[in-house]
Amino acid sequence: MIKKRGNKGAIEISFGWLFAIVAGIAIIFAAIYLSSKFIQVGQESIGAQTGKEIGILLDPLETSFESSQTTSITIPSETRIHNKCEETGKFGRQFIQLDQKNFNKWVKTDVDVGFNNKYIFSGKEVEGKKFYIFSKPFNFPFKIADLFYITSEKEIYCFDTAPEEIKEEIFKLNQSNLFSKNCPENKMDVCFGVSKCDINVNYARGYVEKGEDRMYFSGLGEDSTSLMYAAIFSEEAVYECQVSRLLMRLKETSILYKDKELLTAKKGCETNLEGDLIALSKIDSSSGSNGLVTLKMTVDGAEEKNNARSCLLW
Amino acid sequence: MVRKILTNKGAQIKIQQMIFMILVVFFFFILVGLFFLSIAMNNLKKSSIDLGEKGSMLLVSKLANSPEFSCGNAFGTSRINCIDFDKLMALKKNAGTYSEFWGVVKIELRKIYPESNIECQSANYPTCGIIKILDKNVKTLPYSSNFVSLCRKETSEAGIYDKCELARLMIASQDRT
Repeated sequence: MIKKRGNKGAIEISFGWLFAIVAGIAIIFAAIYLSSKFIQVGQESIGAQTGKEIGILLDPLETSFESSQTTSITIPSETRIHNKCEETGKFGRQFIQLDQKNFNKWVKTDVDVGFNNKYIFSGKEVEGKKFYIFSKPFNFPFKIADLFYITSEKEIYCFDTAPEEIKEEIFKLNQSNLFSKNCPENKMDVCFGVSKCDINVNYARGYVEKGEDRMYFSGLGEDSTSLMYAAIFSEEAVYECQVSRLLMRLKETSILYKDKELLTAKKGCETNLEGDLIALSKIDSSSGSNGLVTLKMTVDGAEEKNNARSCLLW
Repeated sequence: MVRKILTNKGAQIKIQQMIFMILVVFFFFILVGLFFLSIAMNNLKKSSIDLGEKGSMLLVSKLANSPEFSCGNAFGTSRINCIDFDKLMALKKNAGTYSEFWGVVKIELRKIYPESNIECQSANYPTCGIIKILDKNVKTLPYSSNFVSLCRKETSEAGIYDKCELARLMIASQDRT
């Protein structure tokens, strides 16, 4: 009980009340702290699950002999996909980290979902509710991997100056944020031949310029545009890291083909590619997209020699 | 004096009652919290298993077309779900490099026809029926599998020819629960 003591205005609080107030405050604070932690863990697990699901959803998009595949993902709440790339180990690593908007506030999750065999090209941060993903194979000279390009429905790209084959491909992809003609406003211009746009592509010399950044691309045959799209949709740091990872995989795949050539030689097949494959297995993968230009000659030579064989190696 | 002692005793009992009540209420809320936490943990465990199984299922349907396994154009035109046996033996030799690459712990290929229970080594290749690429000694989720054609180059008096057999590609993810 609270009592007024004497006539000096002092208030006497019984020990029972004092204890109840202190203990009550402690319990309420503990409850608030625990429930906020609980909500945070819940949101982190949702972020991690969604990240893992995005990674898993990329598997069906891997191409067999199609030239490209496309799909879209819609996430119920506004989401930021952080595209992180590391060049560690034999193959480097791809990480996806998701932040989701909750009560109009971005909730950061510290859980990274990692993959060794995925190559995602996008900005470092892609924001939106609906995301478009399309994939294309990358052959150099044999198939190295499928490349995935993630864009948000908010990012609009205009390809109205592109060569006809690229316009046709963009049209076939049927993505509502990629335009080959009648581009809307608030778009990003992807220019071919004109050099004062948001993104400038020098198709003949094999590079894409975004402001001060220049990213080189290369490839073989029908899928020679795979890295061009990668450079268009990516930030420079992501692009260079992913190209280095692709070169890491090229090195390891070359070793497999070198061993396969030795095995098939016992059955009477030719052994004309050993030198090229050894050269490819010793390339400097850290050179990034710059290295592609010098590598192209070796790759073209290997492709030519493979096509001349009676038993094709790839 | 006697009255004061009695009043103090009564107050002490009240305080003890209150402490007891507060502790009971506190433990009650902790128990309720633990109950919900265990439900949430169970759901998390279930979704982790579901994601692992879903991942394996989708991976197995595409693994045969990945560069390390696929036939490419080596046996004529591109084929879906065609595994290059010669390349697979090269992959088996370099399996250590790829131990973490696909995020699974078991990758195995079994010839269905002609069936054979002999594990493939470089000495008995190609007269064998089981090729283990990854075989980590950990607790695994159930296997996911896919039927594939297993092709290789063969020689006869007529020259080099392509030989394809029916096989089953099996993969399993680690059970982390």
